[in-house]
Amino acid sequence: MAVDLSLTIGQGSKQELILRNPVMVASGTFSNGLEFAKRFDVDALGALVSKGTTLHPRRGNPQPRTGETASGMINSIGFQNIGVGAVVSEAAPVWSRWQVPVLVNIMGETIAEYGQLAERLDGVRGIAGLEVNISCPNVAAGGMEYGQDPEQAAAVVREVRRHTSLPFTVKVTPSVSDIRPIVVAVQEAGADAITVMNTIPAMAIDIKRRKPVLATTFGGLSGPAIKPVALRMVFLTASVSTVPVLAAGGVSNGTDAIEFFMAGASAVQVGTATFRDPEAAWKVLAGITEWCEQEGVTSLSDIVGAARRKD
Amino acid sequence: MTTEVTESARLYGNTHIVWLTMPPELHSATPGQFVMTYAGENSDPLLGRAFSIARVRTSDAGREFALLFDIVGRGTEWLSRRAPGDAVRVVGPLGRGFEPRERVQRMLLVGGGIGVAPLVWLADRLIEDGREVTLALGGRTAAQIFPAHLLPSDVEIVVATEDGSLGTRGLVTAPFEELLPWCDQAFACGPNPMFEAMHGVVRHSGLRKPVQALVEEQMACGMGICYSCAVFPRRGGVRLVCTDGPMFDLRDLY
Ligand SMILES: Cc1cc2nc3c(=O)[nH]c(=O)nc-3n(C[C@H](O)[C@H](O)[C@H](O)COP(=O)(O)O)c2cc1C
Ligand code: FES
Repeated sequence: MAVDLSLTIGQGSKQELILRNPVMVASGTFSNGLEFAKRFDVDALGALVSKGTTLHPRRGNPQPRTGETASGMINSIGFQNIGVGAVVSEAAPVWSRWQVPVLVNIMGETIAEYGQLAERLDGVRGIAGLEVNISCPNVAAGGMEYGQDPEQAAAVVREVRRHTSLPFTVKVTPSVSDIRPIVVAVQEAGADAITVMNTIPAMAIDIKRRKPVLATTFGGLSGPAIKPVALRMVFLTASVSTVPVLAAGGVSNGTDAIEFFMAGASAVQVGTATFRDPEAAWKVLAGITEWCEQEGVTSLSDIVGAARRKD
Repeated sequence: MTTEVTESARLYGNTHIVWLTMPPELHSATPGQFVMTYAGENSDPLLGRAFSIARVRTSDAGREFALLFDIVGRGTEWLSRRAPGDAVRVVGPLGRGFEPRERVQRMLLVGGGIGVAPLVWLADRLIEDGREVTLALGGRTAAQIFPAHLLPSDVEIVVATEDGSLGTRGLVTAPFEELLPWCDQAFACGPNPMFEAMHGVVRHSGLRKPVQALVEEQMACGMGICYSCAVFPRRGGVRLVCTDGPMFDLRDLY
């Protein structure tokens, strides 16, 4: 029995983004895919998301920038990236040879920078869409600030929309008292999808050194530890969203993915799990297919939001 | 890929050795390359641990490789408790290892603390190759020094301990300074302050000796996808220890 796992983002718009299945890799946990593509079949995945990309190359934060926590990790990489110019000239030509669509995750320090990034990436072969990051906890300027205020968030999204015809998703932060006004604001401003969620601001302390583990004191928590938080955020988002919800936060296997679908997500992004098992994303996909076959589910859309229905 | 423990023992001090079956994927490994090993079945502890391949041997059971490590946390604690027959999941070989020059004879190896691990296999290989090898080992105390009788007998061994309990008293940079004029090429593994001191020694000596440093930095993935393991070379830019390294030319770092 064949299961229909496909998904369309930006339906009805000029440039639809079609995912053959709902398994993506999360930004910052796959670099730009170039190394992995040599060893694994990236074309079997639904979509890839690039490392967070800024206008100029960045070296990122000082060491240490990661630490392990209970069933999770904290990071403060701080946007080490090659810059949008190199993404266009070096990465995109490689991506254009792949079947799997690649979304570029963009982060500006000002609202105008988001527009400039969107413009540079518009119409570039090999770039199928954008993920607008208004949720990074690891930068001094921009990032999460924009994701904590509906008006600012909408201003970023309008700026991006003005400068690109590419379909794009907007990546939100859990660091808000209520996610719903943000979701409403960004979809009204033109977002084609919502990515829920980025890491949770957190810290760890090294008692031997009597210091925070991370050089930046705070970082973002990810991995299995945050899945219950992410599920709630997805559930809340789905209560107001009119566009597909892409879930990120601790997805490590097929069962995790099914939970997110039932909470209202249309796709999942696999992040930290890839660090523990480079084949995690492919295993998540196999797990989803297996579950659907066992349960007689022929179309994934049948279970999206299943846990939301009251009977 | 899954490997199986064939032998596990405390080798000296707080240092353990675990021998594992060597799957074909690892046969191409060279000294200085590493593997990621994953502790436990579930997500805690979550991340893989990077270990240099410390030695390779062939027995009745086929090819095996060794990991040499101090017990410093939950991952190493877990690994030290594996018994023969237990499975350990690994990924590798990863990174760029040492690159001994062809047609040079005198090789100086410098290890600080557990940094000796990759140098053991390098020494084995260089001796097999017919080169002259001097291994300078440093540590806080005698219990941290890899036992001389476990190395090929042709390896010249020099020891420095901070408390003077074995060899000369002081840091391993002192024997390094003495032996630098002798060697054609040097290889080092240890903490970053050791590399920095070695760089100072080379600069002051005025000798243009090539030194390859095997750098350690906090890793999360070991495969170039998380950017945890960044180093910032003096001349600018940023490199990843797990994919650009772990071997770097000392001159490129400081
Ligand atoms: C090391 C690391 C780097 C990350 N870098 C980015 C980034 O550049 N841009 C971004 O939007 N999210 C970034 N994230 C967040 C992830 O994409 C994801 O939203 C989050 O980690 C939750 O998913 P997970 O628990 O599956 O990792 C990063 C996460 C980690 C662990
Ligand atoms: S450890 Fe992840 S990039 Fe090096």
